[in-house]
Amino acid sequence: MPDASFVFAQSLSGLTAAMFLFLIASGLSLIFGVLRVLNFAHGTFYMLGAYLAYQFMLWLGPGPGLFWIAALGAALGIALLGGVVERVLFRHLYGKEELYQLLFTYALGLILSDAAKIVWGTQQKSVSRPPELAGSFMLFGTTIPQYNLFIIVLGPSIALAFWFVLQRTRAGRFVRAAALDRETLGALGVNVSALYMGVFMLASFLGGLGGALISPMRATTPGMDTEVIVEAFVVVVIGGLGSLWGTFLGAVVYGQVLSFGILFFPRFSIFAVFALMAAVLIIRPWGLLGRPLR
Amino acid sequence: MLHVLTLLLAALLAFPLAAEAQKPIKVGMPMPLSGPPALFGDPASKGAQMFVDEINAKGGVLGRKIELLVRDSKADANEAVRVARELILKENVDFLVGTLTSAEGPAVSVVAKENKNVFIAPIPKTDQLTAADKLHPYVFRVAATTTMEGRSAAEIVAKWPVTKIATVSFDYAYGQDVTKAFIEHLKKIKPSVEIVDQQWPKLGEQDYNPFINAQMAKKPEAIFSSIWGGFFVTYSKQAKALGVFDAIKYNFIGVGEAATPETTKSMGADYPVGIWGNSYDAFYWGETAAHRDYTARLSKYLKDEYPSSWAVQGYIGMQFLAEAIKKAGSTDSDKVAKALLGLTVETPVGPLTIREKDHQANRGQLYGKTVKDPKYPFAIMKPVTYVDPSRFMD
Amino acid sequence: MKLRGLAGIAVFVAALLVPAFGSRFYTFLANDVIIWALFATSLNVLVGYTGLVSFGHAAYFGVGAYVTGILMKKLALPFFLAWPAAGVFGAACALVFGFFCVRLTRIYFAMLTLAFAQIVWAICFKWNELTGGEQGMPEIPYPDFGWLERVGASVPLLSWRTAEYFYFLTVVLVAASLWALHRVVHSPFGRMLTTIRENAERAEFIGVNVRRYELAAFVLAGAFAGLAGGLFGIFNRGVFPDFAYWTKSSEVLIMTLLGGMGTFLGPSIGALVLILLNQQIVSYTQYWPLVLGTVLVVLLFGFPGGIAGAVGALSGRLFRRVRRA
Repeated sequence: MPDASFVFAQSLSGLTAAMFLFLIASGLSLIFGVLRVLNFAHGTFYMLGAYLAYQFMLWLGPGPGLFWIAALGAALGIALLGGVVERVLFRHLYGKEELYQLLFTYALGLILSDAAKIVWGTQQKSVSRPPELAGSFMLFGTTIPQYNLFIIVLGPSIALAFWFVLQRTRAGRFVRAAALDRETLGALGVNVSALYMGVFMLASFLGGLGGALISPMRATTPGMDTEVIVEAFVVVVIGGLGSLWGTFLGAVVYGQVLSFGILFFPRFSIFAVFALMAAVLIIRPWGLLGRPLR
Repeated sequence: MLHVLTLLLAALLAFPLAAEAQKPIKVGMPMPLSGPPALFGDPASKGAQMFVDEINAKGGVLGRKIELLVRDSKADANEAVRVARELILKENVDFLVGTLTSAEGPAVSVVAKENKNVFIAPIPKTDQLTAADKLHPYVFRVAATTTMEGRSAAEIVAKWPVTKIATVSFDYAYGQDVTKAFIEHLKKIKPSVEIVDQQWPKLGEQDYNPFINAQMAKKPEAIFSSIWGGFFVTYSKQAKALGVFDAIKYNFIGVGEAATPETTKSMGADYPVGIWGNSYDAFYWGETAAHRDYTARLSKYLKDEYPSSWAVQGYIGMQFLAEAIKKAGSTDSDKVAKALLGLTVETPVGPLTIREKDHQANRGQLYGKTVKDPKYPFAIMKPVTYVDPSRFMD
Repeated sequence: MKLRGLAGIAVFVAALLVPAFGSRFYTFLANDVIIWALFATSLNVLVGYTGLVSFGHAAYFGVGAYVTGILMKKLALPFFLAWPAAGVFGAACALVFGFFCVRLTRIYFAMLTLAFAQIVWAICFKWNELTGGEQGMPEIPYPDFGWLERVGASVPLLSWRTAEYFYFLTVVLVAASLWALHRVVHSPFGRMLTTIRENAERAEFIGVNVRRYELAAFVLAGAFAGLAGGLFGIFNRGVFPDFAYWTKSSEVLIMTLLGGMGTFLGPSIGALVLILLNQQIVSYTQYWPLVLGTVLVVLLFGFPGGIAGAVGALSGRLFRRVRRA
């Protein structure tokens, strides 16, 4: 019978993984909800966020507070990249077949991930935890790294911030309207192109931020983009494509299944995650919190 | 009609470029050059290249220069097979020296067998590579085996004042074999030990937190790990944050070369100083004049004050090949294969012999406890001992 | 129509002649292309003809490869039993998965195909005893060419290596499979699929059981993908779990789109061009994904019909001019 402190520790590590995924998947969900496109390049934005954070850390050097500057800088850089991509290339594909848009994001992912290889090489890079959060403390008999707790708190904070913006601000209302009916919104005089670009940039910002914040905990290495994109897909599908809280819930469920999966199915947790995705799609295709799509 | 036109167009794309010159002896080297395994694979390929440059400067072998063709196998068995076949069919290599993981090794061994090319594996450790049912005339290994490694580690752990042991290894041939060898030998020499937990993350895992939590819940007193390369960097960073090393008082042994200078260097202050590990080589070992000379040359070649410990395996692999070709007096695969049996070569780590029984060299490793040394900006093993594996080889 | 048939025979004969005039490497490349051509064409039954985009077609490819590999290696069954079994198992999996998939549309359909494919991959990856797990199954035996080799050894022109006998076998089997697929997609059944692709609602109105047709297309595609996989496992000298991984699905989808999903031979051309391009580029640089991504982007913005579409448009313009002159 597993004891309480272990269950607690395991669910915390599941939550940490979940919140990282939420950061990344939220961007994916946002783009799908508003632009109706599944952005394969999102994983690459995440990877580039991690590499940019590493690069800024190299330039800034170790020291208090510098990690946060590096992470924010990385996220902003990726937002800029997203804006350029949307303005110059992606814009021309709206209205074309969905398949072409998808293929374009996939091709973009290929190009950007190789660009990362050219700039930073093929060896893995390591970033240390920021000194402010390098310690850990004991809670209910388990050691909890401070940085993990930070991530666990950050996730819902971003979800709440999102929710607030979408529900309570004018811009948020426009975004929700665009998700429902873009033509009417345009007819009402709202600059829909600017809106789309803004949404794309915001989503890219989140993806890049996720990558930057995860780099102290994992390795920054080629291939991390393809690893994360499938996980992000699973999360948004389980939660419901286009639903913010759905993505949050999906991430939490995913994290816990992986965490406890290794207990009940010791060598089968990867199997469990995809089985869950299939089950959701079969029983309730629009996900736990999604709306039935047209 | 259109399809014929397009096909012609495509055929033009396939038109071969300059014909290959036949004179040099071509050696193909599939090796992981990207991702976390590149931490070991990249220096290994450079070590091989250094030997090739040195021997070509002296006139080559049998009057012919050696040409080394290195290809990224991405630490994937399928990719390694593809790359090996291309090297043989397209580049017409005469020999294969390479592969790193214990999945790549056996897969490429099959290719070597079918194409009758001599294949020297400098790094894969799984026993399965040279097991009786997989052995064939063309496969040879100058790396340690999982049996040697597991047993060497068991002898060290047996001396610790602990009885509750846990293991964490990747769920594939290498991880499974070395853990099995470790446990079997440990139970033999110290029957009082109890294996309280075993964790099997998949090869390439990035999030070890659930595995670490599950393991620590069983309150082990010591941990045996075979997580390697860049993956060990990730694992130990996460384990350190969760307080693992403090909890077990650093009774931790990381085979899979967790104490190599590459790893300690790349982790800097994040490295869990105090754990035990092994390494194929260490620039600070310097036990023999030959080793000191090799290290000096390597340092100059890599332009690194603290040169890599993995170059030596690529170097030794090429050494054996070159010596065998010389002994056989030809590049014919069968003759070279025969020449390799029982061949002894003076390597930078001492004389090694490939025994006839299973084409395996008696390659031991350096073991030691890591400490902070004021001379270097990273941890080193001190004292460091070369464990002779001969008594571990069945 | 007749011209196409003649062209097809010409290509078939040319393929058979590759070992005679090309090196071992060209036989290797041609073998690779031909198997992928079958794989891509099977996917096009779904994508091009029925309008269903699948992200998980590699599942059936992987199943086929493992089935043939396991039957030939572990149970020592002969090839003429093990290979059709690949098609049967591919079809069976497609039947089970397809049943659930065709109830969904568009992005959800695609996501479910992906989920099922990843489940297949996870099973192949973890079931060490049956599939060899992470290491896969190296050394799949070639079909028994014993009698052929004995005959060939005595006749000077006909003595080939085992790999080359296998190549001839592949050419014949793939040609037969493609011919069969061609017959199916140009039959009333195939035309119904195209009708469904154009407008599924309208098809429902005229009384067509759209789901049943889609499922049938799914099973057909899965069967032939399985057959392609069975051949590939032997060709590759080993079966590995990433045969079923989503990146394989994306490779075959790109081939289909690159070559042009609007024609029957489009995917085959896509396979040829992609593999040859890969070969050439990889000799110069390690940045193949960069080149591929750029090619795709150019294609998307310039030639949405794929290569076959582009050539068709080009030669259409050329020939129109010729005829006018």
